[in-house]
Amino acid sequence: MDRSLFRLTPSGTSGLIFAALCFAFLPMLAGSYWLAIFTSATIFAMAISGVAFMYARLGMVSLTQVGLMGVGGWVTLRLNHLFDWPFEVNMVLAAFATMICGWILALPALRMRGLYLALVTLMAAGGLEILFATYQFPNGGAGFWGVKIGSTEPFRRPFLAQSPEAYLRYCITIATLGFLFIEGHRRLFPGRAWALIRRSEAAAMAAGVNVTLYKTWAFGIAGAIAGAAGALLAGSLGLLDDGTFRSSESIMLFALAVVGGARFWLGAVIAAVLFRILPGLLNTWGVDTDLAFVIFGVGLLHALITAPNGIAGQIHELIAKLRGAKP
Amino acid sequence: MTRGAILNGLIYVVVMGGIWVALAGAMPFKVTGMFLASGLAIGSLYALGGIGMVVLYRASGVLNFSAGAAGAAGAMTAWQLGQWGVWAPLNWLACIAVALALTLLYGRYLAPRLAWRETVVKAVATLGFALIILGLVSFIWVDDPRSLELPTDQVGIVLFGLRVTATRLIAFAAAIAIVIGIWAFLGRTEIGLQMRAVANSRDLSALLGIPIARVETIAWGISGLLAGFTGLMFANLIRLEPVVITFMVIPSIAAALAGRLNSLALVLVGGLSMGVIESLLTLSPFLKGVRPIAPFVIAALVLLWTQRGTKLTFGGRD
Amino acid sequence: MIEIDTITVRFGGLVALNEVCATLAAPVAGIIGPNGAGKTTLMNVVSGFITARSGRVMVEGQDFLRLAPHRRAQKGLRRSFQKEQIADDLTVLENVLVQTDWSLTNTRAKRAEAMEMLAAVGLADRAHKIGAALSGFERRLTDVARCMVGQPRLIMFDEPAGGLSVEETSRLGDLILQIHGLTGAQTVIIDHDVELIRRICAETLVLDFGRRIAFGPTADVLADPRVKAAYLGTEEVAQ
Repeated sequence: MDRSLFRLTPSGTSGLIFAALCFAFLPMLAGSYWLAIFTSATIFAMAISGVAFMYARLGMVSLTQVGLMGVGGWVTLRLNHLFDWPFEVNMVLAAFATMICGWILALPALRMRGLYLALVTLMAAGGLEILFATYQFPNGGAGFWGVKIGSTEPFRRPFLAQSPEAYLRYCITIATLGFLFIEGHRRLFPGRAWALIRRSEAAAMAAGVNVTLYKTWAFGIAGAIAGAAGALLAGSLGLLDDGTFRSSESIMLFALAVVGGARFWLGAVIAAVLFRILPGLLNTWGVDTDLAFVIFGVGLLHALITAPNGIAGQIHELIAKLRGAKP
Repeated sequence: MTRGAILNGLIYVVVMGGIWVALAGAMPFKVTGMFLASGLAIGSLYALGGIGMVVLYRASGVLNFSAGAAGAAGAMTAWQLGQWGVWAPLNWLACIAVALALTLLYGRYLAPRLAWRETVVKAVATLGFALIILGLVSFIWVDDPRSLELPTDQVGIVLFGLRVTATRLIAFAAAIAIVIGIWAFLGRTEIGLQMRAVANSRDLSALLGIPIARVETIAWGISGLLAGFTGLMFANLIRLEPVVITFMVIPSIAAALAGRLNSLALVLVGGLSMGVIESLLTLSPFLKGVRPIAPFVIAALVLLWTQRGTKLTFGGRD
Repeated sequence: MIEIDTITVRFGGLVALNEVCATLAAPVAGIIGPNGAGKTTLMNVVSGFITARSGRVMVEGQDFLRLAPHRRAQKGLRRSFQKEQIADDLTVLENVLVQTDWSLTNTRAKRAEAMEMLAAVGLADRAHKIGAALSGFERRLTDVARCMVGQPRLIMFDEPAGGLSVEETSRLGDLILQIHGLTGAQTVIIDHDVELIRRICAETLVLDFGRRIAFGPTADVLADPRVKAAYLGTEEVAQ
């Protein structure tokens, strides 16, 4: 195996330390309200990492990541109420199913120019929004859709993570594994192929890279991660609501991934904080949460026009400058 | 129109007819005619949105996702002015003016900064602008149910058993008129010729001495006018709710894709077919729950069809 | 032996290549011609970015035009572009390794071969330098090294000396002359630098307006009055 697979970069080290610190201390710092928010932010950070790496490494724009989370959540809930399998099994199946679903949705566009993937995923987001609103999420009922009127059947959380604190730790672990999964790809041959594809699809083809295959693979990873994130979300709340998976959410998730900094794990964390925590803060400060849209929109334009590496990129540059300034 | 586009248009009509026969063939026309009328009504809205997008895309390479939001801002302005008792036609003008102003603002000050970026980045940037507009509009106007009425709502005819208001007829007629008008504009005027040149190759046009900035501003201006009018129609015929109108951009994209991002006539036929097919799906007990996704499925199928046998092209401008 | 057999390419009404034929046997061959002659179009056809209306390209008995573009690379086609395509995020070594990633052979062997070729081009000491930090010449050398790994059969260079100084061009020329010895591959070069072509290409194909106007040993071709006329124009004597 390529020895450089396991090399530890400064960014990677700080990422792992950050994850470890969160694992250790975050649950203890929070009351139940903030615990739920941190859990949600962790889950969305994982989903963001999927959409961010596709954009940063391949220039692929997916505007349906939250919708795919909804698919993962749906599958998890259905399996939970249909069989007695443990949560982990449901999560893996949900990831797999979401990956397939993502492929079907993106199939018309994966061989075309980047613009078409954005358009197709945007339409998919719209379509998924309608599907979720029509068929809702399973809550223990019978039939394929599994919806019944009345109280929800219980949801079986992971054996190791029954309490909210333990569940937060579980989410942090899974999210970190997700990040590492993507990074592992990046360091091996898929990452090399992706980097060359980003540079020039023609050059990649000329170098023997099956461009469609690698783009499909990348999209599949993003889908699988979204599916797992959706499973975690289902586990966190026990029941999902179609309002969580509207197309506007997917658009904002992508926008924030860019604003946070699509190349960096720090960017995904920043984006998740903006996505989940900023609106809550605005609320606490008495500011209209609609202004969050404005802030995100301005952030996206700013990131695209002047700061392509986002907030995390500017932080990295600052650190590099400070380091360079040291004698 | 090229032969391919005509063939494509015929396919839409044939498929529409096929679905008609499959779902509605057994029923009397008195009943099914209503679905046709209602389908044409919603379809013309899809087509209007798609036409606006394709016109700008062809002239500037920007797929403007903020057209819906600009239209929403205009529609809310019109409503507000109506609340204040301003004379109605001024409100409609204000709607179009606001949408025009917002679109030109983007086109003149923000779009040029992204002029050399890939098409997808230019499109995503308009999403950012859409979020800004949506946020401001939602901030200014509290989330309440509202409606925007037009005098043409009172007048109507009975078409195929369905009462069709004059507003719906206007939307339908406008879609057709706009396609013809823009076709004439592009084909018969000098600016139209310049616009076609810029759409074909921006760099080459600049070298030829075509005033790019001026041509693009006019393109953005036309797009803004269309966005305003479309927003007014959406507000009246669907719902006066900023979020809803803003995200009508998604079915508009479906219609634009049906037109292959290229041919306005095809966008029109495609959009209308989508509307009718979506409407006809009500007759299918199995599919009627998901009929709103019909435009998306159709657009996806169109994409699959158009790219059969395509090799990947160079990463160039795209 | 590379056999270009009656390649015709049309873009609508424009005939970009008109039944171009040539059999390239020399280790290094050149393609020259005025701007717009169709040189890059010919390379694009062989690469698979453009579909030829008719014709074949036979490389060791196999018609490359029947393969998907990325498959041609796997069968030994290499292509370098007018602007070198080096991924900024990857190191020199990683950029070279992409070329052989498709094959399932031993990773260690592939790395060893990559390092060997990097040594041949003179970049072995910079194998772990990141793409973004490379100079223009280093990027071109990485490009060349990438073309040399994985048992190439036909390497195509499109204006490789573009943007290089005289000394760098000379070094590049020396390097290209070594390719056949190191890898057994044939090289085809498009360039406008006639001195470079004269020095390293044993045979040269000349295109003008999509047609072949001369082919043969380079010295003969360059002395051919038709070639001179294509570049310099003819003097019309008023009668």
